[in-house]
Amino acid sequence: MTVDAVTPDTGVAVRATGLTLRYGRTTALDGVSLTFGTGVTGLLGPNGAGKTTLLRILATALSPDAGQLTVFGHDLRTGPGRLAVRRRLGYLPQDPGFHSGFTVFEFVDYVAILKELDRRRERHTEVRRVVAAVGLDGQRHTRIRALSGGMRQRVALAAALVGDPALLILDEPTVGLDPEQRMRFRELFAELGDGRTVLLSTHQTEDVMSLCREVVVVDHGAVRFTGSPADLTALADGRVWTSARREPAALASWRTGTGLYRHVGDPPPGAELLAPTIEDGYLTLVDLAGGHDARPQGGDR
Amino acid sequence: MTTPEPTARAWHVPGEDLARYAARTLAAPASWSVEAHLNACAGCRTRLTALAGPALVEEGWARVDAELDAPVPGPFERLLLGARVPDHTARLLAATPALRLSWLGAVALTLAMTAVTANLAGPLVFLAVAPLLPLAGVAASFGPGIDPTHEITVVAPFHAFRLLMLRCVVVLSANTVLCAGASLALPDVGARAAGWFLPSLVLTVVALLLSPRLGSVAAVSAVGAGWAALFAGAAGALFTAGGQAALAGAVVLSAAVLARRTSAFDITRPLSGTITIRRFR
Repeated sequence: MTVDAVTPDTGVAVRATGLTLRYGRTTALDGVSLTFGTGVTGLLGPNGAGKTTLLRILATALSPDAGQLTVFGHDLRTGPGRLAVRRRLGYLPQDPGFHSGFTVFEFVDYVAILKELDRRRERHTEVRRVVAAVGLDGQRHTRIRALSGGMRQRVALAAALVGDPALLILDEPTVGLDPEQRMRFRELFAELGDGRTVLLSTHQTEDVMSLCREVVVVDHGAVRFTGSPADLTALADGRVWTSARREPAALASWRTGTGLYRHVGDPPPGAELLAPTIEDGYLTLVDLAGGHDARPQGGDR
Repeated sequence: MTTPEPTARAWHVPGEDLARYAARTLAAPASWSVEAHLNACAGCRTRLTALAGPALVEEGWARVDAELDAPVPGPFERLLLGARVPDHTARLLAATPALRLSWLGAVALTLAMTAVTANLAGPLVFLAVAPLLPLAGVAASFGPGIDPTHEITVVAPFHAFRLLMLRCVVVLSANTVLCAGASLALPDVGARAAGWFLPSLVLTVVALLLSPRLGSVAAVSAVGAGWAALFAGAAGALFTAGGQAALAGAVVLSAAVLARRTSAFDITRPLSGTITIRRFR
């Protein structure tokens, strides 16, 4: 178990204030402020909302144009601050790259070296530990170019886990995984969130519901919601109903497997209300925040 | 089974020393002596087995298992390990695209063709092309869109500039050996045959200086274009003693500036309109 995963006096692991970043004329982040501590925090938002940019800044890969960011009390604007955080960081980028000529073992070993594990025996022990943790024990000596997309994603996660980091930043870690693998990863993330700080960007709202202590919704480069998954779900209380026909006035309306339509929006009088899901809450929130056709989808900037 | 005890006739490891050896508390050089004896004496090995606890045996098997399980390094890594490069450094270098056999083969082929052309059209052809090859190799060694693990590298505690320098030195060395070999095939032009060396250093260091701002490919393209313009305008002067002295000064100056700008490689900045090439996957 990793200890000291938060700043001891405040219990806050990450504190961001007014983070702003522009790509040319496009504002990717517009004054984002948030704090979070130990446990798994989910990050939701539509395509192009700025989630990946935010994660890249938190992971010290990008520097913001403006704003302040401290992680474990270290100021990321300074070189020593970044180094201190990098020594306790595990990062899974949205589009992880590999030296595909390497085997799984060699690649994770390569990342372990970048994480300053120089002593061969200890490093190899750690590589075996993380490769086993993601269920790739049997593929240790398989070349990465021969692995499926889901297996590559697991290799990238193994690389992020090297060194037992206190802060894990995972950008869409369950992309490309089959349901059984996703279930295994949920267990793993829940275990990792026990005593560590895990920030997880995902489009799988059920992952957020089952894993996260807190959820942050980002849209148009700004934080629109911070609270528990139950709080997000509650935003759609009384706004989900079912009927036999499509409702053009609804925010979202789709035909379910039963042949009935499920709607999210302002229900007509006498509508048959349903219990909302977290996805309904998310759709309601994003509509309130600015009006999108906003089901969570893959690919972010 | 009878086990030997130290006697005056045949020396065996005293029990006390053997116990300390098993507990790993026997200091050198006594431990070396015990080790050498154990290699040749089955009896003492049997006594040692009785003294060693099951945890020690388990640990030993785990070490053997780990060694057997460790991947066999590829030919390039083995070459580096043979040259006494530490294993972690060898692994970092093995991930450098410009050190792959295919890349080095392409460089060698280009140099061979350039040397042949130089024999027909004059040595300037060779002196124009040779400095660009290490430049291309360095460009292919680091940077977003080129190194598939760039983002992981940047956020790792191993300093990105240190990795870049490590790769650059080896890429430059490999290219220098190839260029030097090819220059032997030039027509007899004396010391001018080595005139490519300082330009290759200048171009590489200047490209490194520009890469955090422009991206690797754009930086190398700009520097290459600058070299072409300079060569077209002042090819004659570049390979005189004065020209080479000026280039040496440029190497020192640009290297000094680069040494002061290492932090620029520590973080990725958004590069609008950055030119990238297909990843080496």
